[in-house]
Formats: sequence, C-alpha cells, structure tokens
Amino acid sequence: MQPIPTIAEGPGTPSLRPARLPGLDTRTLRTVGLLLLPTIGTLAVVSLYPVFRGITLSLRNTTLSSQTDSFIGLQNFRTLLADAQFWNAWRNTIEFTAVSTLLETVLGLAMALVLFETFRGRGVVRASMLVPWAIPTVVTSKMFGWLFDGQNGIINYLLKGSHLIQANVNWYGSTQHALQTIVIADVWKTTPFMALLLLAGLQSISGTLNEAARVDGASAFQYFWRIRLPLLMPTLLIAALLRALDAFRIFDLPYVLTGGGPADSTETLSTLTYKHLFSGLQFGFGSALAMAMFLTELLIAIGFGVFLLRRMRASGG
Amino acid sequence: MRIKSESTATPPSSPWRDGWSRRDFLKAAGMTVGGTVGGPLLAACSTSSGSSSSGPTQITFSSARFYGKSNMSQIVDEYNKSQSKVHVTYQELPPPSSSTEVHQTLVQQLARKDGTPDVFTQDVIWIAEFAGAGWAAPLDSYFSSSDRDAYFPGLIQACTWQGKLTALPWFVDAGMLYYRTDILQALGLQPPQTWADLTKTAQAAMSQQKANFGFLWQGKQAEVLVCDAVEFIASANGAILKPDGKTVTIADPPAVEAVQYMYDTIHQSKISPADVLSWDEEPSRRPFTSGQAALLRNWSYVWQNAQDPGGSTVVGKVGVVPLPHFDNGKSAACLGGYQYGVNAASKNKDAAVDFLRWMSQPAQQLRFATEVGLAPSKAAVYDDPALAKANPFMQSLKSVFVGATPRPVTPKYPQVTLVLQSQLSKALTQGDVKGALQAAKSQIEGIVKA
Repeated sequence: MQPIPTIAEGPGTPSLRPARLPGLDTRTLRTVGLLLLPTIGTLAVVSLYPVFRGITLSLRNTTLSSQTDSFIGLQNFRTLLADAQFWNAWRNTIEFTAVSTLLETVLGLAMALVLFETFRGRGVVRASMLVPWAIPTVVTSKMFGWLFDGQNGIINYLLKGSHLIQANVNWYGSTQHALQTIVIADVWKTTPFMALLLLAGLQSISGTLNEAARVDGASAFQYFWRIRLPLLMPTLLIAALLRALDAFRIFDLPYVLTGGGPADSTETLSTLTYKHLFSGLQFGFGSALAMAMFLTELLIAIGFGVFLLRRMRASGG
Repeated sequence: MRIKSESTATPPSSPWRDGWSRRDFLKAAGMTVGGTVGGPLLAACSTSSGSSSSGPTQITFSSARFYGKSNMSQIVDEYNKSQSKVHVTYQELPPPSSSTEVHQTLVQQLARKDGTPDVFTQDVIWIAEFAGAGWAAPLDSYFSSSDRDAYFPGLIQACTWQGKLTALPWFVDAGMLYYRTDILQALGLQPPQTWADLTKTAQAAMSQQKANFGFLWQGKQAEVLVCDAVEFIASANGAILKPDGKTVTIADPPAVEAVQYMYDTIHQSKISPADVLSWDEEPSRRPFTSGQAALLRNWSYVWQNAQDPGGSTVVGKVGVVPLPHFDNGKSAACLGGYQYGVNAASKNKDAAVDFLRWMSQPAQQLRFATEVGLAPSKAAVYDDPALAKANPFMQSLKSVFVGATPRPVTPKYPQVTLVLQSQLSKALTQGDVKGALQAAKSQIEGIVKA
C-alpha cells in the first residue's frame, strides 16, 4: 500500500480545502456535496435550528397563555439580571456543580485505583460498581427520598443507632441540608461513571513505568504522585469537564426530591427554566434563562479547555 | 486510499443515467405518495361532508384520563347512543397526575382556534387563564342562574371570570381534616372546630403519647403548599387575591396571622415535625395511615388508603371533618377537581352545550361518583340514597365541599403560583412571615398588573 500524502505534508499548501486536491473535478465535488447533504441537513434540523430558535425566542416576550409575541430586544435579559430567583438558582447550580464534580473525581480516582489492582472477584466488582449509574435517576431520587426521610428514613436510624447524631436530621426539609442531600445522591449515582473513565486512563499507562520506578526505589506514593497522576491528568481533566457540564444541567434529583424547595434552596437553573417554560408557558423568558445557562456552561468549558491546553503544552504534549 | 474510494463513489454508469430515468423514478414515487396520502384525504372529505348534511353534528371532547369501574369513552358512547342529533368523538389526554402535560396539550389545541376540541375538561386553576385568553366560551346564556344554584357556591365562583361563567363544574375535590377516632375518644375530645382547638388536641395526643405527630400537612415547595395556605388564609377570613384579580391581599393581617400559625405548628407549638416542609401528599399520608399521627390535612383519596388493611394500621379508626377555622372566620377547603369548558372557536356550540347538559345531569354525576370515584359538584346528588349505599364516605363530604374555596383566580396563575410557592416556603423555613408575604405581594402585583 502506497503511503498517501496528507494535506499538511503537501508542499506549501496550508489550505485544508479538498478542492485543491488533484483528481477531484467539479462533478465529483458535487457528488461529495450531495453525499454530505444529509449530514448537514440533519445537523441543521436537530442542532442548529433549535439553538437559533432559542436565541430568537429569548429576544421576544412570547407567552402562550397571554398570547403576547413581539420582539423586545434584551428586555428578558435585563429582567433576568435583576431577578433574585435567577441568581439564587445560578449560585445553587454552581455550588452543586463544583462540590459534586470535586467529590466524584476524588472518590472516582480512589475507586479506579482499587479496581486497577488484581484481586479475586475483580470482574464482578467492576461490573456491579456500575449498578448505581445504570439506575434511572428518577428511581434514584425516589430511593433517596425514602433513605433520607427525616422521620422514618434508614439513614437517620443508622446515624442515631451509632450515636453520631442526637436527633433526627431533617435532610431535605431544611435549607442547610437539602442541597447537601442532593449532592450525596448525585455522588452515589455518578462516581462509578468517573471511576470507569479513570480506570480506562490508568490502563493506558504502561506497566513498565511501574517496574522502572520500583527498581529506582520509588515508594508507592511517589509512584502515584510523580508518575501516575501526571500521566492521568489529561484523562482526569476531560472526565471532570464532562462531569461538570453534566452536573450543571442537574434537573431530575431536585425536581423529584424537593421541587426546588425549601425556600428555593435547591432550585437549580434547569428546574427554574422548566418552571418558566412548561408550567408558566413563558417561552420568551424561559429561553432567555436557557441562554444564560448555555453561556455559563460555555464559560466552564472554556475554563477547562484553557487549563487542559496549558497543561498539555507544559508537558510538551 | 481516500482518493481511490472517492473515485469509485461515482461509477461511470450510475442507475440514474441508464435503465431508470430520473423522470420515471419521480413519477413512480409521486404516484406512491399520492396514493397513500391522497386516498384517505379524499375519503375523509367525503365522509365529513356527507355527515354534516344528513347525520348527527360531529363534536370532539378532550379530557384528562379518569377511570374506575367504567371509563370516559364508555360514558361518552352512552351519550351518543341516547340521542341522534350529536355525535361526540372522545380524545383522551394524559391522567391528571401529569397535569403539566395535560395543560400544555390543551393550550396548544386551544391556541390554534380551529374549534377542536369543541368541549374539554380543565383543572380549576386554568379557568381564568383560558377565559382571559379568549379560548373558553362564556356559558351564561346557556346555563341560567337556577342551573348554577345547583352547584356548590365555591365552584361557581371558581368558574366565573370577570363576571362571566366560562366553565361548568364537573367533579369536586377539596382539602379536609382526617382524625383518629380512637385517639380522640381516649382523650375525651371532639374533632377540633378552630385552629386553637386543633393545637390543643394535637398537643394532648403527643403529650399522652397517643401519637408521634400531632398534626400533618403539606409544606413542600409545590402546588400543594398553595392549597394548604389558601385553606389557612381563607379560614382567617383573608385572601391571597381579591376576586377582581388585581388587588393583592396576601400581606394583610388575616393572611399574616394564618401563615404565622402554619409556621408556629412547626416551630412554636411543635405539633408538626419540620419534615412537613419537604412533604407533599403522599409523604404526609404515610405516617398517618401507619398510625403515627393524630390529625392530617389531605384530599379525599386518603380515605381509600386508610381503609385498606394491606397498607393501613388504622382501618376503621379514621374520621373526616371540615378543616378548622380561626375565631373570626369559617372553615375553608381548597378546591380541586376538573371542570368542563366549551371552545370559543367551536362551530357547534349548541351541540356542545347539549352534551354538557347531559353530562351534568344528576344521574350522570351519580354514575361518575359510584363508578369512577369522582365526587359530584351538585349538592343534591349527595342526598341520593344510591350514593349513600355505594359510597357512604363520599356522601359524608358534603359539609366539606360547602366550604370549597378557589385558589387565586387570575389568568396569570401559573406565574403567581411560582411566586407563592417560593415565598411561602421562605416564610415557613426562615420565620420572617411578614417580610416574605410582603415580597410575595409586590411580585404578584408586578405579574397581575403587567
């Protein structure tokens, strides 16, 4: 098989346009275009159009029930910036995202390190680890509703039995604990997913490094801190990015467990958007909320991206 | 390799160019499509034009899904068989537990203004919204004041928007007080009439260790919190919103007193656990039917659960009375249930009203009561011996439904309720009742005046 010159290797052709490639006449190009059309069309319909529609709706006062529908510029966003409920939901969402991502990454790493080692029954443990992640979140929510019930829940029963608490904790009926309870439920559910991603990352690190480090007299901790962790870092950051973007959209847990309460303490951007869009049928204002959410997510992604690129460049990757 | 595969992608002779011409293909395709789409269309045209000239008037009826021993479509069929002038086609929507979806579907259908469905059923909190948007036809000319007097007064109030009757009551549900007959007997007490009585009863039950919890209600940041609040506030002779739909009275002294009482049940008299702040209907029902609580505010469905030996330890030990009131007010029960409405764009309003008249007859209300479990909205049906025989509990609820009180009547209710849920929850958790209700007042004013 003859090696095919890639575009970048071509002499003095930094352009990526395939039109400059030899052997592609106009007719072939038209065929290429035709063949690409379904893909472009599908993307336009399922991805570009909804986003575009969301942006245009966010600039209108469209409300189905009052039948208003006119262009109002940035009025929705001005209302949003002055809306205490929006900022409260924004803070709750950021707090939830930061805490749950951090906990899931640390615990997931610990789980991955354990599951990487060889022991009897590892296959079974690896498979069963994924059970929480495979359970639908609505079921998880109901389950945690029972577990953390303030009066008859088993968590309070166990904690009281072991004298860790004196009186029943009102897990999701108090403003101090409600968001924590949701974080716990989310950590229980999603840590296995993180562990799985990180386990894959660990398996890509060559075992010879371990042997070399041992020969040089490195301790287990040194091996982890100086060799494994740096090599795992790109995987870790990408996994955390995926998790953070996913956590930012948290909806089902607060929707089922608390309805956003008590006193808005578990209201997240997704639940607030849902309330405005589907209960209030305020498509304009709801879309502005969704846009604000989109922009915040974009900032999180950019933050991670810049950090990741810097690290990769620093390590000469 | 890539280049090579691309050259094979366009073989010199494609099926387009020889064998089949493009025109042939299009012709064939066009015929197939035309055959499948056009055929039924023509058939549909012919049947509808045929029926409108000779057969019965065709109308459509959309309703959330209710069922029991018989279902909605059986009852609609019975109407179709009972006469030959009107034929009703029934469209089933999701069950009332998926209220948001039912609401969405109805709004989409009504906003089209094409007259479909001609008749629909609606939750009590959507009436003003649909009337305000001009989707629900006024029914005053069809149902005289004597027709209206047959219903519980709170229902007609809820069905009236800006002085016009825009909905017709179908069935009713409301909040009520469940009590443990055995505990009250042991304490030598009667069911409480006032909220002060209720506090004393609950405290007595707890201090004499008859129950872990004195009084359970629903404080979760959800629609049910607004229902509970309406009952407390109305029983103090207060209101959230005046019937004009513009004057907000939620920060007036009666409302503040009522919400303060709700707060005190948790933090001062301690007759309710703080957990009620995260409980809606079911979590508050469970401790009661497992024998842990003396008193419970809930809807009529709890009766069935309480009498089921499979899940209840209090079978035969439960009584129901209207909710208590404050000294200067009278008992109020938050109104639930569904109502009929006629589409303002319907071209067959007379047929629609004929159908409604039939559905609203006492005989039909009785049938919904005994076979589907939906409580009649006409007071006289409760005196029917057939109801006493089939469902004595439902019959005993007449005194509860007399006090039925609607939630704020405004077309902006979906937005108003979000404010109420949020601020009431704040009042109950943080204790600044006056501040939270003031905040609710100014936010609701902004919504209803916009």
